[in-house]
Amino acid sequence: MVEAFAVASGKGGTGKTTSTLALGMALSADYDVTVVDADTGMANLLFHAGLDDAPVTLHDLLIEGTATDVSEATYDRFGMSVVPCGTSLAGFEAADPVRLRDVVAELAADTDVILLDSPAALGSKSAVLPIVLADRTVIVVEPTIPALSDALKVQEYARSYGTETAGVLFNKVRGEFDTIAERTDRHFGGPILAGVPDSDAAREARRAGKPLLAHAPESEAAVAYRRAADRLDVRDGDGDRVADRFSSAVVPDTP
Amino acid sequence: MTDGTDRPGPDRSPSGGDPQELHIPRGTLLRSRVVSDVATPLETALERSLIGYATIVPQETLLLSGEARGVITFEEGVPVLVYNTVTDNGGPEALAELAVPGPYRVELYAVEAAALTAAHGAEALRVAPGSVATELADAPDLAERTRAAAPADRHDEGGHEGADALASFLADDDRIEAIREQAREEARSRAAEWGLTDALDTTAGTVEDR
Repeated sequence: MVEAFAVASGKGGTGKTTSTLALGMALSADYDVTVVDADTGMANLLFHAGLDDAPVTLHDLLIEGTATDVSEATYDRFGMSVVPCGTSLAGFEAADPVRLRDVVAELAADTDVILLDSPAALGSKSAVLPIVLADRTVIVVEPTIPALSDALKVQEYARSYGTETAGVLFNKVRGEFDTIAERTDRHFGGPILAGVPDSDAAREARRAGKPLLAHAPESEAAVAYRRAADRLDVRDGDGDRVADRFSSAVVPDTP
Repeated sequence: MTDGTDRPGPDRSPSGGDPQELHIPRGTLLRSRVVSDVATPLETALERSLIGYATIVPQETLLLSGEARGVITFEEGVPVLVYNTVTDNGGPEALAELAVPGPYRVELYAVEAAALTAAHGAEALRVAPGSVATELADAPDLAERTRAAAPADRHDEGGHEGADALASFLADDDRIEAIREQAREEARSRAAEWGLTDALDTTAGTVEDR
């Protein structure tokens, strides 16, 4: 185990899931990568990864009393291990979000990099857990004032739990970007990883049920994501220690 | 009703030009509401192809050093200029100052088209067609429809619309620190609510920039 990142944004529609899978695929060139859809209330990673019909998902792992093994909800796709989450309301309601800690701890023992696709808003305990559990965050942001305001908020929430920013990824960038990148840099704890241009490729990939890097690997956006992954300084960690930390993370078992 | 009152406020020019060039008559009040989402009056303006202006007063002034009172003019429902009568700033800078969380008190006024001609000549106060929907309302669909409704000669203003307003926001260190401070306090109170206080990093918040 090297490091667990929460991919977060603070608002919807920024392309967080596209970014999570793109970073995952790019990082899988050098690391054993596991991607988890930790947005248990509004899961959509399964649609991006061609896993619409996955029989077992994270929801099943989060329901108390089920004997489901983590491996049953883990699928090898596009060079990564993918743990999708179901989309049923019943599954969400039955799930105990705190069990995410145990799932992540178990996955951590057997992979290099974990990417937790996190809920957009920080309005509930289940939504905030991924940034509590992660080592660091990757913040995905559109170049607008509302999005940057929310990104700053995510950074402070994460820091409150001791989770520092690994980098900021700008998505849906149009036109000149250098001034924005330069002025953003000093407000965040990690570097600006890339400015991913607004493009139809991501929308087409989503419709095709494939990650962007599999659907349009030579697109400008895909190139930018690979550059972002290169700039992300994945830190070496002691797998056992990290797994221990997850196991003993001070998260009460009752809501 | 056109009573000649300089209701929008920009009676004096921030650029030091003719004080009368920004004079806008009061016009006819169409509606006055407190809204949580500024997209609603922008939708109304677009649907009615409003020729006139809106006054926008954020009710939450915590993130601003003082009060903000914005004036946004419209041509055929598409925003043309933005002005903050409190700071005397216009254009992207004023847009950044007004881009704070709601609610806002918004009033929409209709005026004669000719009444806006002089004001719309003030280049420094102009903003790109979709930028108000993007930066104030966080409404990409509305921004797209507004861009589509803009006349052909304004289409080239949309290349990196909002970039200037965002750059202005990012340069405002006091405001960004206020957002961060508010988020830190909120994170702590929500942690208590969710039973996560023990998971908080007790050293967090004591270091400004790590």
